[in-house]
Amino acid sequence: MKNFIIKLISSLVILLSVVDIAYANDEVNVYSYRQPILINPFFDEFTKKTGIKVNVLHAKKGLLERVMSEGNNTPADLILTVDIARLNQFVENDLLASVDSKVLQENIPSHLRDSKSRWFALSKRARILAVSKERVPLGSINNIEDLANEKWKGKICTRIGSHDYNRSLLASIIAANGEEVAENWAKALVQNLARKPEGNDRNQAKAVHEGICDIAVMNTYYFGKMKFNEKNPEQKEWASSLRLIFTNQSNRGNHVNIAGGGIIKYSKNKDNAQALLEFLTTPDAQKLYSSMNYEYPVNPKVRPSKELDSWGIFIEDQLPVERIAELAPTAQKIIDRVGW
Amino acid sequence: MSSWNIWSIPVGIISLFIISPVLAIFYSALLGDTTLWPHLFATVLPRYLLNTLLLMLGVGSLSLLFGISTAWLVSRYQFPGRSIFEWALLLPAAVPAYIIAYTYTDLLEYAGPIQGYLRDVFNWKNSKDYWFPNIRSMEGAILVMSSVLYPYVYLLTRASFITLPISYFQTSAIYGHKPFFAVALPLARPAIIAGLALVLMETISDFGTVDYFAIETLTLGVFNVWLGMNSLSGAAQISSILFFIVVILLALELIARRNQRFYEKHSRQETLELEKISNFQKTLFFIICIIPLILGFIIPVSVLLNFVLKGYAVVNIGEVVDTAITSISISFIASTTIMFLSFLMVVVATYKSNTFQKSLIFLASCGYAFPGTILAVGVVVFVGWLNNIFYFHMSYFIGGFIVLIFAYTLRFLAIGNGSIRSGVTRINPNLIEASRTMGRSFFTTMKKVILPLTYTYVLVGGILVFVDILKELPITLLLRPFNFETLATYVYQYASDEMLEESSFAALIIIVAGLGPVIFLSKTIKKYSGK
Repeated sequence: MKNFIIKLISSLVILLSVVDIAYANDEVNVYSYRQPILINPFFDEFTKKTGIKVNVLHAKKGLLERVMSEGNNTPADLILTVDIARLNQFVENDLLASVDSKVLQENIPSHLRDSKSRWFALSKRARILAVSKERVPLGSINNIEDLANEKWKGKICTRIGSHDYNRSLLASIIAANGEEVAENWAKALVQNLARKPEGNDRNQAKAVHEGICDIAVMNTYYFGKMKFNEKNPEQKEWASSLRLIFTNQSNRGNHVNIAGGGIIKYSKNKDNAQALLEFLTTPDAQKLYSSMNYEYPVNPKVRPSKELDSWGIFIEDQLPVERIAELAPTAQKIIDRVGW
Repeated sequence: MSSWNIWSIPVGIISLFIISPVLAIFYSALLGDTTLWPHLFATVLPRYLLNTLLLMLGVGSLSLLFGISTAWLVSRYQFPGRSIFEWALLLPAAVPAYIIAYTYTDLLEYAGPIQGYLRDVFNWKNSKDYWFPNIRSMEGAILVMSSVLYPYVYLLTRASFITLPISYFQTSAIYGHKPFFAVALPLARPAIIAGLALVLMETISDFGTVDYFAIETLTLGVFNVWLGMNSLSGAAQISSILFFIVVILLALELIARRNQRFYEKHSRQETLELEKISNFQKTLFFIICIIPLILGFIIPVSVLLNFVLKGYAVVNIGEVVDTAITSISISFIASTTIMFLSFLMVVVATYKSNTFQKSLIFLASCGYAFPGTILAVGVVVFVGWLNNIFYFHMSYFIGGFIVLIFAYTLRFLAIGNGSIRSGVTRINPNLIEASRTMGRSFFTTMKKVILPLTYTYVLVGGILVFVDILKELPITLLLRPFNFETLATYVYQYASDEMLEESSFAALIIIVAGLGPVIFLSKTIKKYSGK
C-alpha cells in the first residue's frame, strides 16, 4: 500500500511537471463555445503571422459561469461563441471590455457589432428551408410564415424547438410580427410537423431526401457540409435532392444568426486578444470561415466563397442581432406552451 | 464507540467539502426567482417529470432483467461460452451512452442498412409503405441506455452470487425451495439495489442520449431553463428536484437494507459448483447471455469499426495516442483517489459515526444525481468562491487538474461508496469486535480485516469508476485546463458537429482503453472467489 502511494504521488508529479504550460506574454487564452477542429486552423494561421500562441478551452455550456466565478482570477482573454444569445449573456453580466479598434469598426458592419463595442460578429449563418425538389413546387413557399399554412400538414421536419437555432428563429418572428402572431405561427407549425422533432439539422434534410417530409428547417452551413462531403458521398445525394429557399426575400429578409466574440474585462493580455479578434475579421480569415465551414463572412469586402455562392446571394433580416438575444426567453416560453 | 473521534471528524469534514458544490447549487436555487414556476407547471414540467419517471422505470427494469439473469446463469450453470460471457458481459460498460445512441440511430434509421435491406427485399418505395419502429423514442432510449448500463447490476450481483456459501443452498434444497428465489435473490439484494441505484442515477442525469433522441426529461428541462431562459437559478431548482428523487430512492434502499442483514461467516467458504444442464437449456442460456452483449457491445462496435474501415474516420495516431495517455492517467489518478476516499468514508460511516455523520457521508455521494454540467457549474462556483478568499498561487494547469479530480470525486463517489458498502455490509461485526478486543487499533483493523474482506468490492468500484471517468464528458469539458483533451472530449468535438463518422476511431479507442481494466477485473473476481 505504502509503495503504491509513493508510486502514485511520483507519477502525479511527473505528469504535472511534464505538461504544465507557462503563461507568458506572447500568448492569448481563449474560451471557445466552438470546437477546436473548426477554430484551430484560424489560430494556427494567427500564430504563424504574429508569433502569439493561442491556448484554447472549448465547452458548449457553462463557460459564462466559469468566467463569472473566476472573476478577476480568470485566465481567459477572449470569448468566442456561436450564438448571439450566448454572447449577449456576457454583456448582461458585464464581463466584456469595450474595444476601441478602427480595424474592427471598418471590417464589421454596425448591425453586426455592439453599439458599445463589447462584442463583434465574426461570421454569419442563415436559417433557411431545404425542400424537396420533386414535391414542393417552385414558388409555393416564400416566407417563413408560410410554414403555418395548412397545406403543409404532415410535411415539415425540424429539430426540437428549444434548440438555440430554432429559439433564435422564433425570436426573429416575434420581433417582426409580435408575440401573439408568433405563438400562433409556432402552434400551426407544430401541427404541420411530419414527426415529433428529433435529431439535428442535417437529419431533417436527410428526412426530406427519404420522403418522410417535404420541408426541413436548417442552417446554411449544414447544406455546404452535405453538398461538398467528399468523405461520405452519400450526403451529396441528399443535398442534390433538395432546393434551398431563403425566406422573406420580398420583405424583411432571411433570419441570420452570428458567431462572434469579445474581450473579457479581466483579461491580462488585452492587446493580444484584440490582435486575434482583428485578425479574425481580416479578409484571409474571413475567407477561411466560408471555405472551411460554409459560413458567410461579416466583412463586406470579402465575397462569399464559390461554394456559398453556388446557392445564391440573399437578402438578410437587418434586425439588430441583440434583439434576438433579448427575445430568446419569450421565445422559449412560447416553445414550452406549444410543445415544439 | 464514541462518535466524535479522530476518524469521524476528518471524514465528516471531507464529506462536507465534497458536497459544497452541491450546496452551491442549492444556494443558487434558493436565491433565484420563482416566477418561472407557474409557467413551467402549466406547460412542460408534468411532461418532463412523467418522461423522467418512465425512463427510470424502463431502464431500471430492463437493466435488472439483463443484469440479474446473466449474473445468475454464468455463476450457476455450465454452458458453452460461459467462461467468455463472464467477462464479456461487462464489455458494454466501456461504451459511452452518447456513442451508442449515435450508432443505433445510424443503424436503424431510414437510410440505415437494416431499413435499406428491408426495402430491397420487399420492394417498398418509401417510408409511407411500411412501419418500422423509431429508435428515437422512449422505447429506443430505454433499450440503448439499458444495454450499456446493465453491467452495473451484473457486476455487483455476480460478485455477490459467487461468494454465496454452499450451505445456504443445501439448506434451501432440503426444504424444497428454488435456490434462485429462496437464497440467491434475497441475499444478493444489497448488491442488486446498489447496482440499480447507480443505473437510475446515471439515467436521471443523462443528457447526451435524451438530447439526441429528443426525449423531454427533467434534465432536458434543466438546460432549456438555464440556457433558453437565462435562468441558472431556475435550472438549479429543477436539478434539485432530480436530486431529491435520488435521495428518496437511496434512503429507501438504506431503510430496506436495515431490515435485512446477512453476514458471511468466513471470508472464504465452499461455494456452489456449476450445475450441468440439458442441451436445450444450454442453448437457451447462451441466447439469454448473448442478447445484452450484442445490444450493448457488438452492434455499436461494429458500426464504429465499419466507419473506420470505410475510411470515414479521422485517424491521427499521434494525437489519439497522446489523448489516450492523458485520459488513462487522469482516470487512474482520479479513480484511485475516489476508491481511497470511498473506503475510508464507508468504513468510518459504518463503524465510527453517529447518524448525523452518516447522513453527511451519505449526502457526499449524491452528486451522481446531477446532470454533469450542472455539477460542474456548482464546482466552478464553489472553487471560484474559495479562490477569492484564499488566492491560490497555482498555475492554471495544476489548479485545473486538481479541480477536475475534485469534480470527478463529487460525481463518482456514489459508485465507489455503493460498491464498498455492499462489501462492508457482509462483514460480520463480530470480526471487527474481535480485532478490537485483541487491542488492534482501528487503523490496523481496517487494514488487516476490513480491506482484505472487501478487496473484490474495492476493485469492482475502482474499475467502474475508472471506466466511467474515461467516458465522462460534461465535467471534463467545462473544468479542464487549456489545451487539455481526453478521448471523450476529443470524440465530442466531432460528434457534437454531427460528424460521428470522423470521430469513430477515437470512440473505438475509448472502448479499447476500457476493455483492459474490465477484463482484468473479471479475472480478479474469479480468482478471488476461487472459481
